[in-house]
Amino acid sequence: MIATIKFEWRKLRFRPALFVSAGLIAALTALVYFFSWYQALHPSTGDRGLVNIATLYPDQFVNQVIGAGAIGGAIAIVLGAIYAGSEFSWGTLKTMFTQRPGRLTVWAGRLVVFSVWMGIMAAVLFVAGAALSVVVALFQGHAISWPAAVDIAKGFGAIWLIFVAEGAIGLGLGVVIRQSAAALGAGLIYLLAVELIAVRFIDSINNGAYKWIGNLFVGQNAAALTQSFTSPAFGRSLAPAISAEHAVLVLAAYGVGLMIIAAGLLRLRDVT
Amino acid sequence: MENTTIVETHSLTKRYGSGVLAVDSVDMSVRRGEVYGFLGPNGAGKTTTLRMLLGLIRPTSGTATVAGHAPGSPVGLARIGSLIESPGFYPYLSGRENLRVVADLASVKQKRVDEVLDIVELSSRAGRKFGTYSTGMKQRLGVAAALLKDPDLLILDEPTNGLDPQGMAEMRKLIKDIGQGDRTVLLSSHLLGEVEAICDRVGVISNGHLVTQSTVQELLGEEGVLVRAQPIEQAQDFLTRMFGAEAISRQDGAIHLKTKPENSADINRQLMNAGISVSELRPFERSLEEVFFKLTGEKQGS
Repeated sequence: MIATIKFEWRKLRFRPALFVSAGLIAALTALVYFFSWYQALHPSTGDRGLVNIATLYPDQFVNQVIGAGAIGGAIAIVLGAIYAGSEFSWGTLKTMFTQRPGRLTVWAGRLVVFSVWMGIMAAVLFVAGAALSVVVALFQGHAISWPAAVDIAKGFGAIWLIFVAEGAIGLGLGVVIRQSAAALGAGLIYLLAVELIAVRFIDSINNGAYKWIGNLFVGQNAAALTQSFTSPAFGRSLAPAISAEHAVLVLAAYGVGLMIIAAGLLRLRDVT
Repeated sequence: MENTTIVETHSLTKRYGSGVLAVDSVDMSVRRGEVYGFLGPNGAGKTTTLRMLLGLIRPTSGTATVAGHAPGSPVGLARIGSLIESPGFYPYLSGRENLRVVADLASVKQKRVDEVLDIVELSSRAGRKFGTYSTGMKQRLGVAAALLKDPDLLILDEPTNGLDPQGMAEMRKLIKDIGQGDRTVLLSSHLLGEVEAICDRVGVISNGHLVTQSTVQELLGEEGVLVRAQPIEQAQDFLTRMFGAEAISRQDGAIHLKTKPENSADINRQLMNAGISVSELRPFERSLEEVFFKLTGEKQGS
């Protein structure tokens, strides 16, 4: 297992996707901060354009960056699909499976490193958010104070879980389809279209009698978990239909379940 | 007593879901220390068989033992190096980094990387990204990766594929060098000259069947002498009296005589003394190509 982790880590640290994804998430965080800052200083008429400048200060940075979970989740699907699918495209699966460790050991090592990668993504998001919130506070002459360490840890854990669960969709699709391009396309279509349509349809049946089914979809639970991080500075918000505890359990089940299914496929299928 | 076979299969069969029978009841035996040529036309089932030996493909039926273990067993894989079809490496890593990651996975010390790069003469270009390598360099890196574990058994699947004539010659020399000593090399190829030049024993596969398995010499048959003479019937009667009917055969208007080529002068003199004029008398050896086409039922030049 240690050998497979070393193998995966040595590969990952040279992989352009690691730096590109980290740069992308930092850039998106910066865009969100700068647009929100502009909107806070130049409010348009009506409620829609109103942004409270207080949400951009360091004490609110966890609640602010966790809103990027949806975009980060989409990136995680892409990364999962690339991570699993490219081994098929490059023909490196046969190289991996003809060395010493067994298939499941190789896959387990890969999952550990993928989870670390998602942790790096979450860390980049948090560091970028914290740094940008300091910039805003300094420019606005606001005192710098930070959220409690436990809130930072909870927020980090939540965003990491969302990335891992959505990344597992990409991983699973990469293994099923055996290539990255189609897998990431299918993953994004699922997240951005199929799930939304399916949930809306399910919720409409019989006056919402089957809403509980809609509450089992990954995107719904990711959204509910991010919405559970809020404060009065963000204004009134509707109570989420899914509790944070429910969301954590469902997301964990998705992550673990999809990784086990992918492991089973890799174990049983021929490498041709 | 130490087991002398390193690869042994019994009725090894692979039928794909589509119904295609790729490998049909192959009984194969590779001895320790030999260079074994696995010869067959494209699509004969060579790669499928080798993949089954490595545990990459599950057989539909039959059994195999490779390096003393079931195919794909981690203990067995620790003693096997392989290059199956095109080498699979990471295009964004250099040749050296690719070997380093494989060394990590195989639990091989990093210093071995430079040793194998030296063996395949790729040290000077090991810093270049794999994606920029020529076909020959990729194949060499594949062989280097296969050698990382200093394996008892090396399985090479068409290692000269895609190489230019010089690259092929270099690769053959490399395989010959690697195959010296105690290491066993199982080499698949559809190139007869390659197998004839490198291998000690040969297994010929056609349409999924292992048609024959023997030494190259046995496959080529006994040495002999080819005689063309007039009148041919009289020459055949005369030679039958000299050597016996079992030593004589007729093919394409010539007599094939199973005897040592050193007897040619004596044969010539005796035929001349008997009033038979000899137009051609030379040592005869069947080519592997001839044997191969006969065994596989393929048409020469088709």
